[in-house]
Amino acid sequence: MTEVKVIIADDHPVVRQGLRQMLAVEQDLTVVGEARNGQEVVELSRRVPWEVAVLDYNMPGKNGLELIKELRQRYPGRAVLILSMYPEDRYAVRALKAGAAGYLTKESAPEELVSAIRKVAGGGRYVTPTLGEKLALELEDNRGKPLHETLSDREYQVMWMIASGKTVRQIADELFLSPNTVSTHRTRILRKMNMKSNAELMHYAIAHHLVD
Amino acid sequence: MSEVATAARSAAVPEGLSPEPTVDSAPQAKILLVDDEPKSLFALQELLSTLGQNLMIAQSGEEALRLALKNDFAVILLDVRMPGIDGFETARLIRSRERSRLTPVIFLTAAADEMSSMFRGYEVGAVDYLQKPVVPEILKSKVAVFVELHRKSERLRESEEKLRRLAAHLISVREEERAHIAREIHDELGQVLTGLKMEVTWLAKRLREKPLIEKTDSMCKLIDTTVQTVRKIATGLRPEMLDDMGLIAAVGWQAKEFQKRTGIRCRAKLPPEVKLDIDVSTTMFRIFQEILTNVARHSRATRVDMELTVNEDRVGLEVTDNGVGIADSDLNGKKSLGLLGMHERALLFGGEVKITGTAGHGTRVSVSIPVRQRA
Repeated sequence: MTEVKVIIADDHPVVRQGLRQMLAVEQDLTVVGEARNGQEVVELSRRVPWEVAVLDYNMPGKNGLELIKELRQRYPGRAVLILSMYPEDRYAVRALKAGAAGYLTKESAPEELVSAIRKVAGGGRYVTPTLGEKLALELEDNRGKPLHETLSDREYQVMWMIASGKTVRQIADELFLSPNTVSTHRTRILRKMNMKSNAELMHYAIAHHLVD
Repeated sequence: MSEVATAARSAAVPEGLSPEPTVDSAPQAKILLVDDEPKSLFALQELLSTLGQNLMIAQSGEEALRLALKNDFAVILLDVRMPGIDGFETARLIRSRERSRLTPVIFLTAAADEMSSMFRGYEVGAVDYLQKPVVPEILKSKVAVFVELHRKSERLRESEEKLRRLAAHLISVREEERAHIAREIHDELGQVLTGLKMEVTWLAKRLREKPLIEKTDSMCKLIDTTVQTVRKIATGLRPEMLDDMGLIAAVGWQAKEFQKRTGIRCRAKLPPEVKLDIDVSTTMFRIFQEILTNVARHSRATRVDMELTVNEDRVGLEVTDNGVGIADSDLNGKKSLGLLGMHERALLFGGEVKITGTAGHGTRVSVSIPVRQRA
């Protein structure tokens, strides 16, 4: 197995130390340099040979996107992997668009980081299963209207409340409606969405990130 | 030192540069006396000099107009009969300008004048009418009333100005503090937790006993939950997106979050991304949040439509809901501090907020703030 030379960059010593420790165990990965901010990354990238740069998204100095773009421009063949405190759903797509080979949050399991480094070193891209699923859902949504879009505004609200685990009684109280009306809404929602139970509804709402 | 100060004060003071008011005396009010006859002017000056105010004189309507352009008068004493622009016309012109729209005018007229001219006087904004020759006590006490009124409204204006500045200061201090705490929590605490997790994972890899591995697993899960909590707190204080990606992305995210949190559909129409001034972005973002809070709390709406627009000189936000509609009494009520806060925030950047409600047909909020776009 060929050796992969890795640069790690994070402004926090604890994180750098953790990364170093984690990668030291892996035979095929070598940390060839560390940086504490954007400027140091740029300097380091010139000084030492490397294949993968593991960068914190938010370091002092340059912002994450600028840094990705700069490294990609100078070293088109090498991979930039973002390891960030920020949630994937808001930042990953941007980072990937800017040229990052992958985006991981710091909650990711260490094994995931290690396999991500291996994958991007080989020229591939690394997308977490969660993000992959989200992208797939978006593709699916683009083909046709997602089911919940067929609901009226009121039905959507009732659907959301059911999916959040509220009872018909609670929903009726909160919306100033009679329980009968709420039940009618519920029946119509289930029919429109082609479902049989509240549990199915909940499952759908969670999968589509309609509720937390 | 005191000699110099005294000398400076007694020296002629150029117009508009009156000496700093001392603690024990209120600033002088300006009074304008207008008459074409130098003799009458002199008499008026003599009479009113005991009031201790700043008396200015004009011998014609034109001259009076020029002075009224540059000064705020507590009261203007205006002779009706003058060659050129007469007293009525002068009063009309003075009061047609925004700055002097409410300046009180007392007309002075010869005894021969008829009642009919009095009506003309009141039409152009006279607050009083005195016949020559004037009775000194009456004139003095009338002028004194206006001086007092002027002083009080000046004081009111000043204290309003101070309150506004204080509000602005509080808003910006609060925003800075939030941003600071958010950054500290997110960066410091978050990173330490990340480091901690890496250490636990390192440890876990070396363990062979099942109960111990189970412990490290649950420690990892606990750390993950804590990281998520930290992130939630930080974002709640100040969404990092606002700084990283700008207003448009942040508003879009907030709209989605709102729908996810309340079940009220929120449709966002957003322009292509542009870089905007960060303070204006913060203001707009906070106003948007406040609007959404109000929708969730009071509107009973099932739907919110929002549109953000950006052109060369303004950023505009329009939010409508299909709820019960805000009542006029709530727009100015004592409980509407949130609305007041929105207005104040917008005002800070020369913007404005318009809120209209129709019973049963929802509420519409329009915000417009001038911007300087950065290249």
